[in-house]
Amino acid sequence: MTPFLTAFFSGTAQGAIYALVSLGLVLVWRSAGVVNFAQMGQAMFTTYIASQLIQNNYSYWSAFLIALISGAALGALVDLGLMRPLTSRKNSQLLNSQSMRTTIPVIASLGILGVLKALAGIFWAGEERGFPSPVAPNAIKIGDTSLAITGFDLFVIGTVFLTLVLTTIFFTKTGMGLAMRASALNPEVTRLSGIKVGSVRTLGWAISGIASSLAGLLVTPRTNLSPNTLDLLLIIGFTAAVVGGLSSLAGSVLGGFILGYVISFVNVYSAPENVFIAILAFLLLALFLRPQGILGSKEVRSV
Amino acid sequence: MLAITNLVTQFASIKALDSISFQAKPGLITTVIGANGAGKSTLLRTISGLERPSSGSITWFDEELTHKSVEAIVRSGISQVPEGHAVISQLSVAENIELGGLFRKRIARGDLTIATKEVYELFPILFERRNEPAGSLSGGERQMLAISRALVSRPKLLLLDEPSLGLAPLIAAQIISIINELCRSTGLTVLLVEQNANTALAVADHGILLALGKVVADLPAKEMAADSSLRAAYLGY
Ligand SMILES: Nc1ncnc2c1ncn2[C@@H]1O[C@H](COP(=O)(O)OP(=O)(O)O)[C@@H](O)[C@H]1O
Ligand SMILES: [Mg+2]
Repeated sequence: MTPFLTAFFSGTAQGAIYALVSLGLVLVWRSAGVVNFAQMGQAMFTTYIASQLIQNNYSYWSAFLIALISGAALGALVDLGLMRPLTSRKNSQLLNSQSMRTTIPVIASLGILGVLKALAGIFWAGEERGFPSPVAPNAIKIGDTSLAITGFDLFVIGTVFLTLVLTTIFFTKTGMGLAMRASALNPEVTRLSGIKVGSVRTLGWAISGIASSLAGLLVTPRTNLSPNTLDLLLIIGFTAAVVGGLSSLAGSVLGGFILGYVISFVNVYSAPENVFIAILAFLLLALFLRPQGILGSKEVRSV
Repeated sequence: MLAITNLVTQFASIKALDSISFQAKPGLITTVIGANGAGKSTLLRTISGLERPSSGSITWFDEELTHKSVEAIVRSGISQVPEGHAVISQLSVAENIELGGLFRKRIARGDLTIATKEVYELFPILFERRNEPAGSLSGGERQMLAISRALVSRPKLLLLDEPSLGLAPLIAAQIISIINELCRSTGLTVLLVEQNANTALAVADHGILLALGKVVADLPAKEMAADSSLRAAYLGY
């Protein structure tokens, strides 16, 4: 197979994972206005839970489902246990400037990342382990040529598209989705409309927790699982989210795939050590050319 | 009846509301007028639960509102149109209106459809522009949208914070007259905050004059409008 096709297929498969990470980030951003740096920590932790269950002879799919539910619970817990008390009225002295209101949750999310890594160290001795994939990772063949894409890759891509479609329908077609967008855009007007903004945010954290958990389950069959393996994913996912326009779900997924291609083509045509520089260059270029993101709207960024 | 009793709301050491008391009768328009910084917005924000009073009480008929959450106050039938044409500019016109009725979607879906139809009849321009982002509306249209968002919740008490601010005189007059008609035709109770005393007193039944967080006059609107010394002393014209 030509290097071009190899790069294309592997970029698509990688991009699907980045898309999922990026989607999780955008979900919290759109519902709570927070950039959640703990996201990959949540993914790592719930994947360890799944891995533990599989060791204890649970089937893959029941472990998968429990990991997603744990992801939702962990997301909700982060909000209820930390974000909500931190941003409550009692702290109004601390939160009297806009910059503090946006900075404090970010710092708190970094704290959670640290805590989750420490807990993984305590419960699972921080050990690196493999994680199974539900679909055989054999390359797909057309005739005699095997493509640089596996059945598992197709499963990942399909899952990501399904997630995108479901979240988009939820955001644009349901009342709860409207409440979620409104809560992030203007919490005061939303509360004055009789909506429990706090609960809406918690739900946003929970949904994002599911997306993150899904990303962990789908990427670790390739990368293995350890407390730190998913760190790089956050950086790439974050870049994808910014490139796609933090406000747009579809943009974030598109951003994920674009980053998949950038990384994969640099890997194939240049050298793996240039990947980081390429990501940075790409981020700067994208910010320079389209500061509102590929599909982002201008107003959102300027608020 | 809305009853405000010895209400104090302070920001650090500044008493924005310094023990104010007054009542607003049901089915009538009570206007709160006062210069910039008098505490008018703080009063409405405290009634809606956005600011917490340090003492005093707010009751609506038999219901104590003083320590309720913002959402619970809206759900008891008290809606506010905040200062500055507060709409969510990134959402469409229709979405802004839908937002106002969302909390009762499950309990009163049928009535919500009727309420939405009513606001579109009241403001046909909003129906024409229903799929456009609210940010693309003119100032007057935004104010109409903010009022519509509040109306679809079917409030019994409507709090309006300077609805005519920043609007061309003709548009401002049109909006005030629509509020007047609403009150007269539906029995809605209105608490209308205005800096523009003439416009407000012309439609109101009762006037409350605020100065530096205190009630300095509490009179029928006609008498307040006729008292030029009050205006000279507190509004500067
Ligand atoms: N969030 C706040 N923090 C500190 N001071 C405030 C705040 N909101 C209002 N104030 C002060 O309270 C007083 C009354 O303000 P406000 O209610 O907005 O007046 P008005 O609406 O009549 O113009 C002013 O002195 C204002 O500076
Ligand atoms: Mg004001």
